[in-house]
Amino acid sequence: MEALLRELHEGPDGITEYRDSEISGDELTLGSAADQRIQLLGRAVAAEHAVIRKSGSKLELSCRSGERIRVNGEECSSAKLTTGDVIELAGHQLTIAEPPGGFDVAIELRPNENIAASEFESAFRTDLDQTWLSKRPTAWLLVAIVLLLGVALPVGVMFMHHAERETPGWVPGDEFWNSGPLSPAHQQAAAGRCDTCHKQPFVRVQDETCLSCHKTIHDHVSPQHLALTQLGPTQHCETCHREHNEPASFLVNSSDAMCVDCHATSQQKFAQLHLEPVSGFSAGHHPQFKAQLLKPIATAAGAGFQFDWKTEVVPLDQAVEQSNVKFSHTQHLDPDRVLRRNDSKPLNCADCHRLEPDGEHFEPITMETRCAECHELTFDPAAPDRQLPHGKPREAVLTLQDYFTRKFSDPNAGRPTRERRRLPGHEEEEQTCTGAPFDCAMRSAHAEIENQFTRRGCVGCHVVVDTKSESDFDRFQVYPIRFARDYFPAGRFDHRSHQIQGKLTGDAACLSCHKAKESKDSKDLLVPAMAKCEECHGDRPAVERVTVQCVSCHAYHPQQTVSIEAPKHEE
Amino acid sequence: MIHRNLLLFRGARYLWWSLVLLIASAVLYATQGTVQPPNGGTWQGYVLGTIGALLIVWLTFLGLRKRSYNSTLGSVQGWTSAHVYLGTALLVIATLHSGFQVGWNLHTLAYVLMCVVIASGFFGLYSYLNHPVLISKNREGGGRAELFAELFELDKQSRSLAQKCAPEVGIAVASSIERTTLGGGVYAQLFSGDDSFYVRGAGAPVRNADQQGVVDFVAERLPRAQKGVEAANLQQLIVLLCRRQAVLRRIRRDIRLRGWLKIWLYFHIPVTLALLVALVVHIVSTFVYW
Repeated sequence: MEALLRELHEGPDGITEYRDSEISGDELTLGSAADQRIQLLGRAVAAEHAVIRKSGSKLELSCRSGERIRVNGEECSSAKLTTGDVIELAGHQLTIAEPPGGFDVAIELRPNENIAASEFESAFRTDLDQTWLSKRPTAWLLVAIVLLLGVALPVGVMFMHHAERETPGWVPGDEFWNSGPLSPAHQQAAAGRCDTCHKQPFVRVQDETCLSCHKTIHDHVSPQHLALTQLGPTQHCETCHREHNEPASFLVNSSDAMCVDCHATSQQKFAQLHLEPVSGFSAGHHPQFKAQLLKPIATAAGAGFQFDWKTEVVPLDQAVEQSNVKFSHTQHLDPDRVLRRNDSKPLNCADCHRLEPDGEHFEPITMETRCAECHELTFDPAAPDRQLPHGKPREAVLTLQDYFTRKFSDPNAGRPTRERRRLPGHEEEEQTCTGAPFDCAMRSAHAEIENQFTRRGCVGCHVVVDTKSESDFDRFQVYPIRFARDYFPAGRFDHRSHQIQGKLTGDAACLSCHKAKESKDSKDLLVPAMAKCEECHGDRPAVERVTVQCVSCHAYHPQQTVSIEAPKHEE
Repeated sequence: MIHRNLLLFRGARYLWWSLVLLIASAVLYATQGTVQPPNGGTWQGYVLGTIGALLIVWLTFLGLRKRSYNSTLGSVQGWTSAHVYLGTALLVIATLHSGFQVGWNLHTLAYVLMCVVIASGFFGLYSYLNHPVLISKNREGGGRAELFAELFELDKQSRSLAQKCAPEVGIAVASSIERTTLGGGVYAQLFSGDDSFYVRGAGAPVRNADQQGVVDFVAERLPRAQKGVEAANLQQLIVLLCRRQAVLRRIRRDIRLRGWLKIWLYFHIPVTLALLVALVVHIVSTFVYW
């Protein structure tokens, strides 16, 4: 499209002057911007205001969206133009004229003389205040965003939760107030609802809320015990258990300070609960260990007596094991005297002491599971497969009587009438019985019963008392054997994590604490004193010391409620 | 040397105040112990948070103090010096208050808003220390109005001289004046964007960045000038156009420097207001779900 633009100006002498310029291009752009084909100045003119195009033989004017222009006095946004049409914009007048030869369009432009060039130049935007940048509207916008995200949505979702109404998952609700992640289990239980735990606004999470799920937890001090002290109520759950923190491992407060706070001054505050003061884990700050042992109490019953087992708590340096067993660790660990039966190697600790899955306690040692492999209860070398029943003296007597009755009366047995009698120093001295087979059998049984209970069998491990009773059944009384299941019920100790002691492993590690090789008597309680722990552990970080805290060995929440009648030894 | 006084006001008195505050805060932070990880919920965290909140409120008051010209409550210069140092200290105190725990939540939003405010403040401080000198150097003692007056005078002289030259020169020079851009949008002001055009012949207007196009266009006519008068006119026109070019450069640089001097306030102030609201919501929401 070839256009002729004639710009008409009123000259200084009142005569109209004109200036022609040729414009060629696909379209004629009108606007105030510098790159417009026809630049029109003025506040009402947009940077790109309108476009004139040729469609066929006609001219077409169309404004940019939102802009308006006046054509022949009518305001419009687009128009078809013919010769003589007058376009007006901000006081500028463009008249469509008959194009001279060679041109498609001719336009006469009468600029608005009231707009001086300098006026336009002074309209340059030279300050940031004239741009879209603004302080006040931006402030309002940001404040509105903060209020929406920080107040409107959270409070809205909070009320919807109270009304038990579903909220769409994509709405950022009151979790926007969440100050930190929950531990995974609590996160799952809360399921994104703060009011699962935060029941009341502006009120800390209450213990009842915790206990509504943690029903089986026991308080540190039972109410009955607490009544005996001058302590106030026990601590709130959240004193030790803080949520919304990173890392989540801090869910349990394992600091000693909380424990020591009460226990350091136990003399004053614990009143009738007599607990020794504890202010740390070192000599002088922690009482010496006390073992909970079983003490047999014998009472006369019938021809003999019976045992009751009473629990007693004894300081380690006075502790005497009263299990009734006769046993020497020294002997069993001496390879010159005891070897394993199956492979003829010296005994290991673990041959008898097997750690339970809890890593703390050991399986109870019984005759059947540990001793019997070596210590058989045979009684007749001629019948190595016959053994006496263990733990049932009456049945042992019966077994012997039955055995010898059969032996003396069996017509098929070879040389049945020879009475066998073992005397000290005479391993195999046999005598012949000449009486009736039953009498011979009873006599042999009687002799063997006496032998088993007093010289050879039971008496090897057990204390046997001869009541001098006439009856073989009542004559010998065997003391039962019992060990405490847990010497330190209030303490936790992981044997597994102590199976390596510096460079020591295996039995050497065990023996570094438990002086078994030097113990000839089962009365020895082979539990090391606190000083042994202190060789490696301290209550505060130090070089070559592993720090232990109260809760490393002690549980705050007891496994079961301690009844008021129970012994008061919680240390 | 306003800027010297700003940072060294009364022997950098507020620098020492801030350092003391920072050391106290660090000690407080370190005493949080092993009971729970350092966070805003310990008593030390509450104290740090309270200090931070009071600082934010006080720092905001600079905007009010600046406008109350009758106030005798310390000089604005002293206030600004304290504003800079205590605002910097706030960054550390608030970080200690947070215990370095961040997340997609309101509390971190408030923290981020605070960081934006402080960062924009640092930029503002940098600008205030550097740009005023550059601006007055560029203006050579005059003001912006003088620069524009010179420009408009050159425009007028160029126009009338160009009228006397060939029509295409007249059109080119007149259009180059009309189609000169200065400043404009945010980008154009801050980076001296130049969208100037001039009309050469019948084609589309051509770019005239830094007025070089029109100067070259007129210069090319000079060897072809047939009459002595025409050559003299063209020569003088080139001188005028080059002077115009120099003034325009100065004005653009002025716009750019002034822009950078002021731009940070468009972030510093609105974000401060958003921060104040976020701070209140942060405090209240913490205790709603205590």
